[in-house]
Amino acid sequence: MGRELNMAHRWKTPITAALALAGMLGQGQAAALEDVLRGILRGTQPPQTMAPPPQQPPANSAAAPRPGEQLIQALLAGRTSPEEERQIGRQIAGNLLGASPLVKDDGLQRYVNRIGRWVAMQSERPDLQWHFGVIDTEDINAFAAPGGYIFITKGLYRRLQSEAELAGVLGHEIGHVIMKHHLNLLRQTQMVAAFGGLLGQRLRDQSQVLQNLIGNGAEIVARSLDKEAEHEADRIGMVLAARAGYDAYALPAVLQSIGHVPAQDSRLALLYKTHPHPEDRIARLSEAVEAGGHALPDGKLVENRLYRLK
Amino acid sequence: MKLTGLLLLLALAAAPAAWAAPGVMIRDESLRSAPSATAAGVGTVARGARVEILGRQGGWTQVRANGRTGWVRLLSVRGGEAARADVAGEIGGVVALGTTPRDPGRVVAVAGVRGLTEDELRKARFDEAQLRQLEAHAVGRDEAARFAADAGLARRDVAHLPAPRRQEGTSPWGGN
Repeated sequence: MGRELNMAHRWKTPITAALALAGMLGQGQAAALEDVLRGILRGTQPPQTMAPPPQQPPANSAAAPRPGEQLIQALLAGRTSPEEERQIGRQIAGNLLGASPLVKDDGLQRYVNRIGRWVAMQSERPDLQWHFGVIDTEDINAFAAPGGYIFITKGLYRRLQSEAELAGVLGHEIGHVIMKHHLNLLRQTQMVAAFGGLLGQRLRDQSQVLQNLIGNGAEIVARSLDKEAEHEADRIGMVLAARAGYDAYALPAVLQSIGHVPAQDSRLALLYKTHPHPEDRIARLSEAVEAGGHALPDGKLVENRLYRLK
Repeated sequence: MKLTGLLLLLALAAAPAAWAAPGVMIRDESLRSAPSATAAGVGTVARGARVEILGRQGGWTQVRANGRTGWVRLLSVRGGEAARADVAGEIGGVVALGTTPRDPGRVVAVAGVRGLTEDELRKARFDEAQLRQLEAHAVGRDEAARFAADAGLARRDVAHLPAPRRQEGTSPWGGN
C-alpha cells in the first residue's frame, strides 16, 4: 500500500513537468525530449503495455487497419504509414464535421476541391487523398488534419477576394499536412501519456483507439501548434500558390484582412488562441521572402472565377 | 453602467475609422501610382520611414508617406508594434491589438454571429454521413489540372522559402 502511494507520487511530478515542457518546446527541443522519453519508456513501461497486442483476425480485407496498439506504436516511433495517417485524419475530420457540417452547396464544395487539389499537386505529397470542405460556421479559420483533410470556414471564405487568396489559405493548411505538424503534436501527447503509463488500458476497436488518441471530439483543432510551425505553413502556402500560378502575395493579403477585424470578435477567438498575430505572421513572411533572395514570380489573382457564397 | 461601457466599446470598434493606421517601411520601396508592379513610380520611400496605411488591394498596400500617396508591396510595410502602440494610445487601449482600423463599412458585433467554441469542439460527435459527403466531392489530378488551365494557370518551379534567421520577437501576442 505504502509502496503504491509512493510510486504514484514519484510519477506525478515528472508527468507534470513533461506536460509543461511539451507545451513550451520548439521543434528541435521537442524532438530531443522525445528521445529522452523513448529511452525512459523502454526502461520503465509497465509490463502490460509491453506485451504484444492480442492477435485479432483482420476485420475484412488486406486493407484492414492494423490493430490499434500497433498504430500507437507506429505513431510513437514516428513511422506512421500513409494509411494510418489517413485514419487519424479521418477521425478528426468526422468529429469536426460533427461540430460544424459542410455548407450545403455542391458547387462551392466542388470548386474548393478543384482549387485545393491543384495547389496540393504542387506540394511534395501530391498523391495523398486530398479532401477539402467549406464548413458552415461564421468562425474565421481554416483547419488541417493528417492525411489530407482540409477545411475552411464560411466566415473566412466570405472574406476572400480572389481565387489566389483561397489558394494561399489552402496552401497554408496543405503545408501543415505535408510537414505532419498535427501528427507530431499527437506524438508528443502520446509520449507524455506513455510516460505516465496511461496507454496500459486496452481499447478494443480501432475507432476507440483513434478517438482515445485524438482526445475529446475535435478539441485537437483548438490546440496550438508550435509558433514556428505556423510560420513554416505560411511560407509553404505562399510558395505552393506561386507554383500553382497564383499571386503568392494573396496569402499575406488575407492575413492583413483578418488583422482588420477587431481582435475581440468571437469569430477570431479560436484563431488567435492557436496562431501568432497576423501582423507578426506578415512580418515573418516578409523576412523569409527577403532571406530567400529571389523574388516570387508574379502570378494571377483570378478574381472573377471566385465562387460566391449563395 | 456596464451596458454603457459595452455600447461605447462597440461604437468605438464599429465606427468607420477617421484615422489611418500607422505603419513602418521595412525596406526601401518605390511608391507606385497603382497596385501593380508595372504601374508608374511616383516616388520612393525609405526603410524605416513612418507611413500611414490607407488600404490594400491584392498584394499591395496603399500608403501616404511625406504627403505623397502611392502603392507598395504588401510585405514591405509593417503595421506592427509601434503602430499598435499608437492605436492603443489613441483610443485608450480599448480596442488595442489587431485592430488596424481602416476597414470602412465593417460591422463588428452582429447579433447571433459568433465563432466556434472550444466546448462545441470538445463535445463534437463523429459524423459519418457528413464525412461521406466530403469524400464524395474529392477531385482527381486531371480534373484539377484542367480547371487550372481554364484560368490560364500553369505550374512554375519555385523553391521553398528558408526560415529567416532570427530570435523570437518580443510580440505581446506571443506564447499563445
